[in-house]
Amino acid sequence: MSTQTLDAFQVIADPSRRQMMQLLSKDSMTINALAENFDMSRPAVSKHLKIMYNAGFISIKDIGRERYCTLKQDGFEELQKFINYFDKFWISKLKKLESLLNAKAKEKQV
Amino acid sequence: MKKEIKHTFYFTQAPQEVWDYLTKPELMEQWLMPSDFEPVVGHHFRFTNPNNSFVVCEVLDVKPFTDLAYVWKNDWAVTKTPYTSKVSWTLTPIDGGTELLLVHSGFELFKDLLAHNSGWMFLCNKLGELLKVPKK
Repeated sequence: MSTQTLDAFQVIADPSRRQMMQLLSKDSMTINALAENFDMSRPAVSKHLKIMYNAGFISIKDIGRERYCTLKQDGFEELQKFINYFDKFWISKLKKLESLLNAKAKEKQV
Repeated sequence: MKKEIKHTFYFTQAPQEVWDYLTKPELMEQWLMPSDFEPVVGHHFRFTNPNNSFVVCEVLDVKPFTDLAYVWKNDWAVTKTPYTSKVSWTLTPIDGGTELLLVHSGFELFKDLLAHNSGWMFLCNKLGELLKVPKK
């Protein structure tokens, strides 16, 4: 199986993976139980899970003979960071605009 | 989890003057980024980041001195992400100047995905219990 590493955005870009996350948000599930919800082969499901695992969206634990998948926060924090980044970006840009306009206003007064 | 980014700024200039800084590339460049923006609905343009990456945009709404909106996509995100974000500006004349409202929205998908945050502790606890089950 390929060990593809995608970033958080690539991970959530896939509708099947988003659906898997929705299912896992309700409860931990075994890979087999998850696979039952999808019209794809078990290896295909495993591949998606591996991608989610590599990006920190889920953890996979062996319990007995079963492999349990559980949502993990790391991947989601990447997305949150992105929004926080933009928040700061705009504040700094708007402050720049503010000082530009203030400087202009002063020029006029002189 | 934030659904959108919202900031209100106040300027002593009239909306017409602030509008110029939102719509004239030579003025936009002074505080935002260089671009080939034109205030025409449907116009495709790009902002150039200092690191030479692009923000790919399309003008959605232009109401002179009042409203301006465009699609905002980081170029690395164009093919990779399922979201499209939107930047909108609203100018309101106020006593002694302009109120400028910025809304950067379109993070709904993230919000949905992140809405489960409150469930994390529950899930972690549950996992802890599951892990206590002795392995065969």
